[in-house]
This record gives sequence, structure tokens and C-alpha cells, in this order.
Amino acid sequence: MRILLIDNNDSFTRNLEHLLVNAIPESGVDVLPYALLPVRFDETDLIVISPGPGAPLDYPGYERVIDSGVPVLGVCLGMQIINAHLGGTISRLPDCVHGKTDIISFLGRTMTVARYHSLYCSSIGAGLEILAANKANVPMILGHKTKPIMGFQFHPESFLTCDGVFFIHDALRRILRV
Amino acid sequence: MMPFEESFAFDPERFPDLKSWLVRNGADVFFSSPGFSGETRCFAGLDPIKELVVDESTSREQLKEFAFSGFGPCFGYMSYTYGMMLRGIRTDKKSFFPLGHLKKYALLLRYDASTDVVRISGLDAGQVSLLVKIVSELPLQPKPIPFPDLGQPQVSMNKFAYEAGVSETLERIRQGWTYQLNLSTRMYWPCMPLDPSEIFLGLHTAFGAPFYAYVSSGRYRILSTSPELFLRVREGEVLSRPIKGTLAVPGDPVTSVAEVDEKLLYELTESDKECAELSMIVDLMRNDISINCAYGSVRVENHKSVFVVDNLLQMYADVRGMLRQDRDCLDLFLDAFPGGSITGCPKKSSMRIIDELEPHSREVFCGSMLIIENERCMDSSIAIRTAVADTVCGDLYYWAGSGIVIDSQPDREYRETMSKAGKFLGVAAK
Repeated sequence: MRILLIDNNDSFTRNLEHLLVNAIPESGVDVLPYALLPVRFDETDLIVISPGPGAPLDYPGYERVIDSGVPVLGVCLGMQIINAHLGGTISRLPDCVHGKTDIISFLGRTMTVARYHSLYCSSIGAGLEILAANKANVPMILGHKTKPIMGFQFHPESFLTCDGVFFIHDALRRILRV
Repeated sequence: MMPFEESFAFDPERFPDLKSWLVRNGADVFFSSPGFSGETRCFAGLDPIKELVVDESTSREQLKEFAFSGFGPCFGYMSYTYGMMLRGIRTDKKSFFPLGHLKKYALLLRYDASTDVVRISGLDAGQVSLLVKIVSELPLQPKPIPFPDLGQPQVSMNKFAYEAGVSETLERIRQGWTYQLNLSTRMYWPCMPLDPSEIFLGLHTAFGAPFYAYVSSGRYRILSTSPELFLRVREGEVLSRPIKGTLAVPGDPVTSVAEVDEKLLYELTESDKECAELSMIVDLMRNDISINCAYGSVRVENHKSVFVVDNLLQMYADVRGMLRQDRDCLDLFLDAFPGGSITGCPKKSSMRIIDELEPHSREVFCGSMLIIENERCMDSSIAIRTAVADTVCGDLYYWAGSGIVIDSQPDREYRETMSKAGKFLGVAAK
């Protein structure tokens, strides 16, 4: 499987690369900086949009990724970029959280996940649904009802997240149907 | 290593004399203090035969060519300013200091404190024998002069400015441009009639720390009293030990965690704020070594461990990995430099904000002191608690800073920063 990981100048992108390779043994991950965002994605089976500083508005050009038809997974800022492109809104969190854990329920499991975010998806874009939220109703996992698009607000690649591989496998089932 | 080598047992009680003799005779030295895990390797380089002064045009290949060819090891430093160049951060500030400096020596002394063995090696048999004779018959050396009262420094950010800087950093965190940022201030004492080698010896005698280094670079002397390991590589095994989370120990000075009240330890290791600071940098260091480490090899050990240095409790974690076969320790170093614990996270965005908020240049502060033995063996520290002395005009510089996260309070961060400058301000941090 060819995975394209787009790095939004973040300091966690390589953790995500190692997690993806760990979770998907037969995969090859190409890491490209946001500045080199490609125009076509012919050879790509999965596009992953990395976390990063700033807000979706600071990263124009992702429409060609999200509308490409190639399965897309966004993490943190990556999920917010997907949500903003589909018409959702992004707002400041009342209490921003960096380097702390939270608990979510997902697929019948209670999971400890790492959070790093100042902003959140305050309304959800067209076609998206909330698959998991925390106690304060901050969306933690978004999925698209019909398209192969998904996002994690938390960081599956953080060492604070208990089972990052579990979330990657779930994303593969959902958006790659494997 | 070198073509000629002799080793012999050395009385550890005589180490203060050896250290004084080396520093006063112009050696570049890397010392530890007893009681610290880094203590087993003390290096001194005498008679430099090859030097590489790093400038904007120095390429990765030139650094590797210098470090890995011919007889090693190579000692030196890389400045934070060089790290800004590596990470593509432009600055308008004028830098007075070399971007980096690496040296190779005709004569080396190595002292292993775990076995009390001194090993002297060199390019010339006569030079080796002479140093063996000097060291084994070393007369008592004059004690370092007591650390002088330097008086009040000029500061780049006083209390008011520093606290305003913290407030602005908090706003940038709320905007999402940084999750944690290390903000520093610079202290400057003009025209001090002091001998930097005596200041260094005085500091080493009075304040234990695992990564002391004294390095000459042209007119400048670097006096590093760092407690922090940046990257260590042994046979490809990578270790980084980021420090985040600080708590001053009240009352009488202590030198080990065993002497500290458990309640105080708990206050540090169970503090949401301090733990978040460390966890963030652990994730960042995992990222930074993952660039050059084998898939599946990167792991975190001893998360939220504590040690004591400068009368401060410091929390740390071990981030380990295995260097890829097709990469070397300079790939690792240059891709991870400067250390995340002194930039903040994410690194590039935080470094841009630091350059905006800090009126001074960091120069060697927050850079790294380096010992490179070969492609898969290296030691490097984070050059914090580090001073620079200008031997021509007598100017002395020191910097101190603190990690800002969303739960930070401006006045507390200023106090933490000052406590890290305590040993230079002549007030034992209390």
C-alpha cells in the first residue's frame, strides 16, 4: 500500500509515519512537506494529512486532496482541514489542551487518547458524522457517511495514546474497506 | 582512535588537580560531576591540529568529512543560530558568534570515573609520554578562586518584558501556533576583569552537573554547565533524555533525589502542567529521532523520572531508538537540531515565534556541545546553563529560560528562569 503523508510543518509527523508502517506492515510511506502538495494522486492508496500549527485557513490547497476520491485520513489540524473544506466551522477551544490525555468511548471500548489542540470542530461539515466525542462533546473522531474520508482530533501517534494501531486499523476498515 | 596510547590508574582524589591543570593549560574539556549518570566519560583535547569553523556555507558533507575522516574523536559545538539556519528560520538579528566550531587534536586525555583509569592518546609517541609523565606526577594545583560577585547584569528582557513575553506566548498558544514555547532572557556583564577558566573551575567545584564543557573558539570561551543530554549514540543505539518540568527545592541545598521530601517529588510528577510540558517534548523527540531511526525501534522509557541539579528538581524521560544502517550520527544530530526542549513544539513554528519575541540572539545558548567519535558513536548536550566569555573585551553573557505552556503563569515562569540563573547571579537558588 502506498501512503502519502503530507507534513504541515509539524513535529509529530514522523511519529505518524512510524505508526502507519507499524500498523500496516506491507505499506510504504512517502512524507512530503505541505509546500510540495502534489496536484495528482494516481499512485496513492491513502493520503494522510498531518497535524500542525495554525488553522485550516492557513493551509489553502487541500480541496484537491479531499475531493480526489483517494481515501483521506486527517489527524488534528488534518481533521479540521477536512471539516472546514466540507463547510464545518473551526473555533477556539475554551480551554486548550496540549500534551494531556482524555477518555473516549469508541466501538464499545474505553480508550485513552492524547490531545494537542487549541481549536476544534465547532460545527460539522456536510456529509460528516461524529463517531466519537469526549465528555464536553468536543468531536474526537469524524467520518464521512458516503466518502472514504475520516479524521482524528486526538493524536493516535502520541506515546500517551494507549493503542494507536487500533485507530489506524479502524480507519483502514472504514475508508479502505480492508 | 590514535596511533599512540597509554593508560594508567588514577587516584580520583586528584581529579580536581587534573581538571585545573587541563583547563588552565588551554585544553578543551568535557567533564561530568560525581553522582551523575554522564560522569563516566571525561574528555580533554590538547593541541588542536585541525579546525572547522562553521559558517553559512558549511554543508552537511563538509561536517561529515571533518568529523569522520582521519584520527578522532572530534570535539566542539553547534550554535542555536546554526539550528535556525538548518530549520529554515530567517532572522534579522546580527550574530556575533561563530555558527559552530569543530576541532581535532594531536593529544587526547580520557578519564573514566567508573574505573579510575586515565588514557592518553596522540599522534606522537613523545608527546604522549610527556603528558603521561605530567599527569602521573602532577603537583598540587592552586584551588580555583571563589566564584566572584558579578553584580547586576544588563538583561535583554527584564521582569516586565519577560512576563509580557509569556503573556504573548499564551495568546499564540490559544491561536494554535505553538503548543509549548521556550522563552529566554539574556544577561550581559560588560568588561569583567575575570579569567574565564577560573570561573569555569569555580562553577565545576561548587555546582555538580553531568555535562560540563569548556571550549575555546577564537576570542570566545564557552562555559557550559549543562544538566541535559541531547543525543547520545553508542554503536547505533540512540538515547535522548529531554528535561521538562522544574521545581525549586526550598531550604538547605540538596544534591540527590534521596534527600528530597517525597511530597515535593509528588508535587512535580503529579502536576498536570509539568507532565504536559514533558510529554509534549517526549513526543517531539520521538519524532525527531524517528527521521533517522529504524521503524519499530523508537520507544519511551523512565517517563517522569526526576533528578536534582542546581538545587532544582528536574523531570525527564528517556527516548530511545536504533539508528538506521544507512544513516550516521550527524544525520541524526542535524535533523533533530536544535533540541526540542529548548525550542518548543511544533519546532519550526515555535522557533519563528521565539525569534520574534526575544530581543537577543541565543548564539551558543540552546545549541549543543559535541563529542563525535565515529559514524555511530556521539555525545551531545543541550547548551543550557551556559555562558560565553569574550577574552578580548571581558564581556560575559549568560542566558536562562523557561518552557511556557497554556497553564503557565507569567510571574512563576520569570521566577523559574531566574532560579536557573542563580549560580551566575551569585545567589544559590533557593
